[in-house]
Amino acid sequence: MLLPEPYNETVRACFHDAAHAGELSRDYPQKCASAVAESAQGAQIALAAGIDAGIVREMRFRVWGCPHLIAATEWLCGQLESGPAAAMENFPLQEIMRQLSVPVEKTGRILLLEDALKSLTRQWSRTD
Amino acid sequence: MTSAPVYLDYAATTPTDPRVAEAMHACLTGEGAFANPSSIHVAGRASAALVARARARLASLLGTDANRITWTSGATEANNLAIAGAAKFRAHRGKHLVTMLTEHKAVTATFAALEKNGFDVTWLRPDADGLLSPAELQAAIREDTQLVSIMHVNNETGVIQDIRQLGAICRERDILFHTDAAQSVGKLPLNLDDLPVDLLSLTAHKFYGPQGIGALYIAERPGCHVLPLTFGGGQERGLRPGTLPVHLIEGIGVAASIAAGQMQEDLQHVASLRQQLCSGLGDIPHLVRNDAPNNTYPGILNVSAAGVEGESLMLGLEPVCAASGSACNSTSGESSYVLRAHGLDDALAQSAVRFSFGRMTSSADIDRALERYQWAVNHLRAIAPIVNANPCNASP
Repeated sequence: MLLPEPYNETVRACFHDAAHAGELSRDYPQKCASAVAESAQGAQIALAAGIDAGIVREMRFRVWGCPHLIAATEWLCGQLESGPAAAMENFPLQEIMRQLSVPVEKTGRILLLEDALKSLTRQWSRTD
Repeated sequence: MTSAPVYLDYAATTPTDPRVAEAMHACLTGEGAFANPSSIHVAGRASAALVARARARLASLLGTDANRITWTSGATEANNLAIAGAAKFRAHRGKHLVTMLTEHKAVTATFAALEKNGFDVTWLRPDADGLLSPAELQAAIREDTQLVSIMHVNNETGVIQDIRQLGAICRERDILFHTDAAQSVGKLPLNLDDLPVDLLSLTAHKFYGPQGIGALYIAERPGCHVLPLTFGGGQERGLRPGTLPVHLIEGIGVAASIAAGQMQEDLQHVASLRQQLCSGLGDIPHLVRNDAPNNTYPGILNVSAAGVEGESLMLGLEPVCAASGSACNSTSGESSYVLRAHGLDDALAQSAVRFSFGRMTSSADIDRALERYQWAVNHLRAIAPIVNANPCNASP
């Protein structure tokens, strides 16, 4: 019998096919970006959003970190893209923990993603 | 994981050679040598004969006499018995001991336990290639030094220490010299009758034998002895009591015979695989090889990738089974203390991967590993923040 898989299928899919990794592909009426880093594990997240008429037209990210953090960031970008920019104000912590089966000891890394999104949202609020 | 695993973790444990497994299986049947070798009846004597044959086979591989071999459960127990047993035996002469920061935990933890019990331990640091200079050892030795323990082949990097030269320094001063040879026995030629080594630890499962059996070699010379750490029925001259596991001992004996017979062939095979791996890795920029260019066992290749996170690298490598330089899935994310002692910074140490391969590894396995490693490094660098995507600024 194998030990439980450390990564579920969603993590594996988001990790291997990080479709939202990279930079915004074009200019937008509203663009915001954030970058956060964590000293203990050295994790880093950069987020960028291209917004037009209150809709997130494009979400992009860059991450240095563990598979759960990479997958969580990809998953979040997928959730926010094409939706209302106001949705960025609600970080779906529980949903991420559940969807990606994030081990509780990695909660801190997911909270780093929340910091990145909050920073992005603050910028958007200022420019909206 | 959907693809078949590609096993490149031979330094952790090797697959058991089918010839070893067959011999062991024969011991476990009703017709086999299953009896307690301490029993004096005919079945016990048959088992004892088999144990004696295995001891002789292992001794032959090591270039020593069979009566110098004490069976243990593996290298960890052998290291404990050698280090703690010798330190206690010679404690009346002095309590200073010397070892290296890059030793296996079976050694470092034993020294740490002795330190807590009144012994004074000097921990030596290797140079950037992982090697210990004889001058460094000489400088550490004191009037009251009783034991020096330096591993032969490092389990993480494959770096080979010059145990002949280091042992000679100890022999000149009547200091016991122990070496943890778990990674070298059966893989590199050893002739203990011609080496200044007093105590040597080994385990079968690193050279295609079974897990659960190892041995301690104790040289025959004045002052070279160990005190037992466990007590019981007096087996193994009272040094390591307990009923001997005949099938495991048969396994290590057969593994030793096979190793003696095909060591050069095995060495050529792993050297060729290493060449293939190094050549393929050469296409990937900003890699650091963690070894000593001219003093490394060819079956281990440890490499760090600047700008890449260790746990993600391991997932990207799947289905290749290799060892990571970081404690994956832990909250600490602690990087390898061995690589840190080499002088690597934390980021490079935690991005390290140890590929280790051997007798059953094929060229196709190496190709697959190269393909996965290249994909993983490129992928992780591509999605990293710009500061990390440029490995010249890789430290997070």
